[in-house]
Amino acid sequence: MADMVKFTIDGKEVEAPAGELLVDAAKRIGINIPVFCSHPKLDPLGACRMCLVEVEGRRGRQLVTSCTTPVSEGLVVYYDSERARAARAGTLELLLINHPLDCPICDKGGECPLQDQAMEHGNGESHFVEEKHHKNKRYPISDWIMLDQERCVVCWRCIRYLDEWEDKPQLGLYHRGGETVIDIAPGHPLDAKTSGNIVEMCPVGALTSRVSRFSYRPWELSHTDSLCTHCALGCNVRVDTRLNQVKRLLARENPAVNDQWLCDKGRFAFGYMQHESRLTQPLLRKNGTLQPASWEEALDAVTAKLVEASKQPQRVAAIGSAKVSNEANYLLQKFFRQYVHSNNIDFRHGSDIATAGRGIPSIAEFEKADLFVLFGVDMAENIPVLDLFLKRAVNRRHAKVLLINSRRVEDSRYGTLLQPAPGEEVLLLNGLSAALLKDEAIAKRAGRLSGYKAWLADMVSEPTAKLNLSESDFGGAVAMLRRAQRPLFLYGEAVAGGKSGAANVTALTNLALLLGAVDRVGYLPYDANAQGARDMGVLPDRLPGQIVLSDASAVSRLQRQWGGTVPAEPGLTYLGMLQAAAQGELDFLYVMGSDPAAEGMSEALQKVGFLVVSDLFLTETAKLADVVLPAADYVESDGTFTNLERRVQRAPKAVRAPGRAAPDWLILTHLAQRWPVVEEIKDPKRKKRGHGRTPNIWSYASPQDVLQEIARVVPMYAGLTWDALGDAGQQWPAEALPLRPRLQSVTLPTLSRRSFTHWLIAERVLYDAGQLFATTEQGHNLIMAPAVHINSHDLATASLAVGQEIQVTSPHGSVRLPLLVDENVSPGTLFVPLGLAGAPAEQLLDGQYGPVPARIEAVA
Amino acid sequence: MLSPEVKKEIQQVMKKYPDSRSALVPALYIAQREVGWLPPEVQDEVAALFEIEPAEVHAVAGFYNMLYKDPHGKYHLEVCTNVGCKLRGSDKIVDHLKFKLGIDFGETTTDGMFTLDHAECMGACSTGPVMSVRPVHHELGKYYENLTPERVDQIIETLRDDGFPASLERDPAGPPPHGGMAEPVLLARVDKPDSHKIDTYLADGGYAALRKAVGMGADAVLQEVKASGIRGRGGAGFPAGVKWSFLPKGVYPRYLVCNADESEPGTFKDRLLMEYDPHQVIEGVIIASFACEVKHAFIYIRGEYGFAYQRLVQAVDEAYQHGFLGKNILGSGYDLELTVHRGAGAYICGEETALLTSLEGKRGHPRLKPPFPAVEGLYSKPTVINNVETLSNVPHIIARGADWYKTFGTEKSTGFRLFSLSGQVKKPGVYELPHGTTLRTLIYEYGGGTVDDKPIKGIVPGGLSMPILPADKLDTPLDFESVQAAGSMLGSAGVIVFTEDMPIVSLAKRTVAFYRDESCGKCSPCREGGGWLEKILERIEAGGGRPEDLDEMMRISKFIEEQTFCPFGPASVWGLQSAIRLYRDEFLAYIKKTNPEGKAPQVPVRPIFRPDVGKPAHPRD
Repeated sequence: MADMVKFTIDGKEVEAPAGELLVDAAKRIGINIPVFCSHPKLDPLGACRMCLVEVEGRRGRQLVTSCTTPVSEGLVVYYDSERARAARAGTLELLLINHPLDCPICDKGGECPLQDQAMEHGNGESHFVEEKHHKNKRYPISDWIMLDQERCVVCWRCIRYLDEWEDKPQLGLYHRGGETVIDIAPGHPLDAKTSGNIVEMCPVGALTSRVSRFSYRPWELSHTDSLCTHCALGCNVRVDTRLNQVKRLLARENPAVNDQWLCDKGRFAFGYMQHESRLTQPLLRKNGTLQPASWEEALDAVTAKLVEASKQPQRVAAIGSAKVSNEANYLLQKFFRQYVHSNNIDFRHGSDIATAGRGIPSIAEFEKADLFVLFGVDMAENIPVLDLFLKRAVNRRHAKVLLINSRRVEDSRYGTLLQPAPGEEVLLLNGLSAALLKDEAIAKRAGRLSGYKAWLADMVSEPTAKLNLSESDFGGAVAMLRRAQRPLFLYGEAVAGGKSGAANVTALTNLALLLGAVDRVGYLPYDANAQGARDMGVLPDRLPGQIVLSDASAVSRLQRQWGGTVPAEPGLTYLGMLQAAAQGELDFLYVMGSDPAAEGMSEALQKVGFLVVSDLFLTETAKLADVVLPAADYVESDGTFTNLERRVQRAPKAVRAPGRAAPDWLILTHLAQRWPVVEEIKDPKRKKRGHGRTPNIWSYASPQDVLQEIARVVPMYAGLTWDALGDAGQQWPAEALPLRPRLQSVTLPTLSRRSFTHWLIAERVLYDAGQLFATTEQGHNLIMAPAVHINSHDLATASLAVGQEIQVTSPHGSVRLPLLVDENVSPGTLFVPLGLAGAPAEQLLDGQYGPVPARIEAVA
Repeated sequence: MLSPEVKKEIQQVMKKYPDSRSALVPALYIAQREVGWLPPEVQDEVAALFEIEPAEVHAVAGFYNMLYKDPHGKYHLEVCTNVGCKLRGSDKIVDHLKFKLGIDFGETTTDGMFTLDHAECMGACSTGPVMSVRPVHHELGKYYENLTPERVDQIIETLRDDGFPASLERDPAGPPPHGGMAEPVLLARVDKPDSHKIDTYLADGGYAALRKAVGMGADAVLQEVKASGIRGRGGAGFPAGVKWSFLPKGVYPRYLVCNADESEPGTFKDRLLMEYDPHQVIEGVIIASFACEVKHAFIYIRGEYGFAYQRLVQAVDEAYQHGFLGKNILGSGYDLELTVHRGAGAYICGEETALLTSLEGKRGHPRLKPPFPAVEGLYSKPTVINNVETLSNVPHIIARGADWYKTFGTEKSTGFRLFSLSGQVKKPGVYELPHGTTLRTLIYEYGGGTVDDKPIKGIVPGGLSMPILPADKLDTPLDFESVQAAGSMLGSAGVIVFTEDMPIVSLAKRTVAFYRDESCGKCSPCREGGGWLEKILERIEAGGGRPEDLDEMMRISKFIEEQTFCPFGPASVWGLQSAIRLYRDEFLAYIKKTNPEGKAPQVPVRPIFRPDVGKPAHPRD
């Protein structure tokens, strides 16, 4: 902590750390000096001159801006002096002379700092009798944001945010003097993925959201402190509603999570919540078509089928979701384990991902790490707010970045990019390990590892030649690793799934082990509750608390809590279930908040005996279902989510669900209450069936009741009640899930392109064609068009032309796509984003994790 | 649109700077030379070369007047209409040109030959009216001075028939009128033939001071300059040696920037030095850099000064060839690179922090002080910034010693000064005189008195931004302290004289218009207030004035004077404030005459309908 100094404001003595800005120090003692350009998250500028105060100086009292003046010992400040008041009134008067008088129709009206300060600090009259200056009014600077230059007070907050945080200065000041305006470059709308933050920072109505414009008056809104569930970061938001309609989402400050930021998807893509295509009533398949039904009918139909199917529990399965709450996921697995006696429970990107199950060490680690090793991670595209913290670390703390990725992702501009071909990642990581082991200190720290070392040396002689890497890039990477004091290793779904996932993650962990940083290896999942679904035991081989099935004492503890018995054998994984379905081996499948049919699994799902889907929309999977249950969205029910740093946060109900849609916890509770437990208890043959205990009857009246049980059952959630979570959530300590770190030899995954010419890389993008995004009309232009991205070198080799439609074929499928030249894709690979219209990548993957072999041909 | 050769040229220029972003304005000049202007696509291409966002390039291009954002005719004609030229009849030249070409300001002749614009002070106040001619496919323009309608006709015909002349030299050629002390120091060489060449300079004992300085060692040089008491000639008058000694110990690299952005209206002495004795300032730069342990120095010269730039660049080349620049200068082991950097038309870039921001390839916005440039300047490194005239003095101080230097001037304002005398005097020009010479001596003895011997109405003693002194202050000695005591400031020592012929409303409006036009737009009082003041003055001039407008302008100008971010604010209103203070009766008489019925201003009650705003694309928009 800096030295404390004493100074006075209007005669009041104040103590503050030396160097603190006067405006901040004053705020702490309750003096809110008015500001426009000053912002706690931006560098001081001193441009608006609103925060003028008098200070005693060598040449008498001087006017200074309190946003640029650091406090010092003995400083004498006059805030409420006549001269200071007149100066602030003068600045306001000047800011208002050319300001339009359209407050009555301005979105900011009612929550506008300019209005508020004019009331509090203005002199209440205008001397201006000239014509106001005219500038451009209301025109779009991106699909999300409108700019009104006449309302702008040129405080530069927007410009500075995009420069200092986004590192994409896409807004600039144009012209000068009285003509000065904020603008984009012609033809270059903002595409920074967190641009919406500037709407919130704007102290006037110059920047407004095109999604929310003219749809509310601020004073009519009700506020609910909640979360964003578009990605795994769990940004805190405020949901503003009126008349049971969500009107806008604002960032809510949480220093531990999102600071004050929100990405554009999180801020603007809430159109799905009230979209007309939301399911509002249960549907039941009658005579081959889905027809509206009552809840009674629907639930009875499900129960009847499930009771029947549960006689062969191995032929029953449930798919949970990383997109829905802990409570829903917990009840789903509990229901199928406790009543149906099946461990066929998993979620997309669940047990098929190789991960230690602890997410990332912490978001705060981004403020400490001096080297970021990003392995198969595209943070700019997938987790934009976390990417802000990476940029900040690089630009302000000069942290280094080492990327291992087959694609040149956006963050490559911050460091060294090593581009191994698919399948060669392990070779590269082992090569790096081998190079590090030449450093004696590192070898010593790694301890006894003669076996590992010999194995490694044998395996990775001359990695650069094998990998086609430049010696300087490789050497640079080794030097970066060696110099790092506090490296952070992050890996993503792209490398942690599929055949090579386990090998990739082990090789990365080995590298971290050599640097003594095994506790700073983290997995960056995509979905909001990917961590929570794991914690809740929505895994075929893990119980709530990620407890392994073989942990007898934990199992018996759980059985005591639940009553009944927990099946002992691991169940089918997500991909396993779909394979089983394809073989006609599933009699019953319950899908909650997941859409495997959209991933090319329709055929398999058609073979399921009885398919039940609960979701917000009539998804591809729901279209195949026998019963469709209309689910409530997270803003329509209380619930908790666990983010990628294991922070459990609450998302309270903000609006009512549409029609007769109901939250998943309630649907599952009703199903459980229909379950013939009582009959079972009375059944004299019960004991013969080997069920030693009686399953408890469910009696949850609220999600809070469910959470209470979770807190009892899941060791790391102990004590986490709804109230205890508070507004900032609570993080469970990573040590609660101990690692047994040791160096392990890794077998190189045997990926072969066989007769194919390319590798197909398929990864998620922020603006995809999924319902959660595509239902927001303003975002339509942003949705990535289906195309196959290819390097110009490969394009020339294949003698194909840009824009041409071509046939892309993998061992699993074949699609036609337009060609897009993309130099970020390395030669020998093709990139097709996931989640695009028509699901081309999914058809080529057929449920597999990429990369898969592929080839391209001109369409005859 | 940019050819591979041009892109390569730009990439070469990028290498000249420690941070390639600094080459942005030079790159835009090159692109403009090729294309004739800077279409958005070309700016995008430049952005791609620099690997920055297009908006960064567009924002920079939008800041500088000399970068064209729309197509221009083959020749861009700019006539200075600022006070200096106005007092010498530029209005007549403007009328003549508009009539002859059939176009107004901002327009292009139908044959695409000429685009006409007014310009702010171009540093030719003693030789005004002046017109700069810049062919759009050249980077540098040429000045035509002492214009008469007949000369304008000639120039236009010559451009039409024979094209742009090969030489950028002043027209008429040769240094402007000058004089002063019997034994001039800074101006000793300017009349010699080939005064700009290194051979001439060496024959005069040039670069001997550098040799001496290298022998003395850096610290001794610094002490000598400090001892001379020389104060900055740019305007603020801060002691140069003290400034140098503020450099934090042990922090490298350090930079030195010679401020050659002479843009204070009424000031034209640096231009003379750079055009006719460039080696003198270069030697000053080298000695100062040596004293401050600088390895890379810059001369930031205003973009309008094409000829001076050309001569500086030639002289720098010569200095490199002779081993006064580059590696191991004079065998001392001392290395120095010197880069001449052109501004692109922005008055504010004369302010030292704005200059640094501009030199970093950005809009020329002033920066927060502290940190002062000596601590965190160019690229956030310790930086010394001195004016051309200040640095030109340095070789003389080293050669002849601080004691010699102090025999000139007063105790606190040591040495001699280049006074730029302009306005309604018989012999305007640059006069080299010791500090403390009185205004009367300068105007009547050297300047030959006023035109037609009319009584003096007022004098601006230190460049247009300084308060006007009334005629009864003629005996004020021209040194920093005395001028301040008289109610103004010596500033850049640009002395503008005006007589009863000059209507004060017109003078005040022109002064305010200049500062409104040149405000960088960063802080609210200057950005908004300047426009307000100009609108009031326009209304008064057009016959809609009210007596209370005078107090209103005093009230508004006080916000600007006291509340702006940088010294530009006060500088922009001192002229107006002093005009109202000194000539209130004239203002009131004008208002009474032009608005006898006291009509109230017509306040537009709603925005004018603008058909350019189309229907919204989206219902919510």
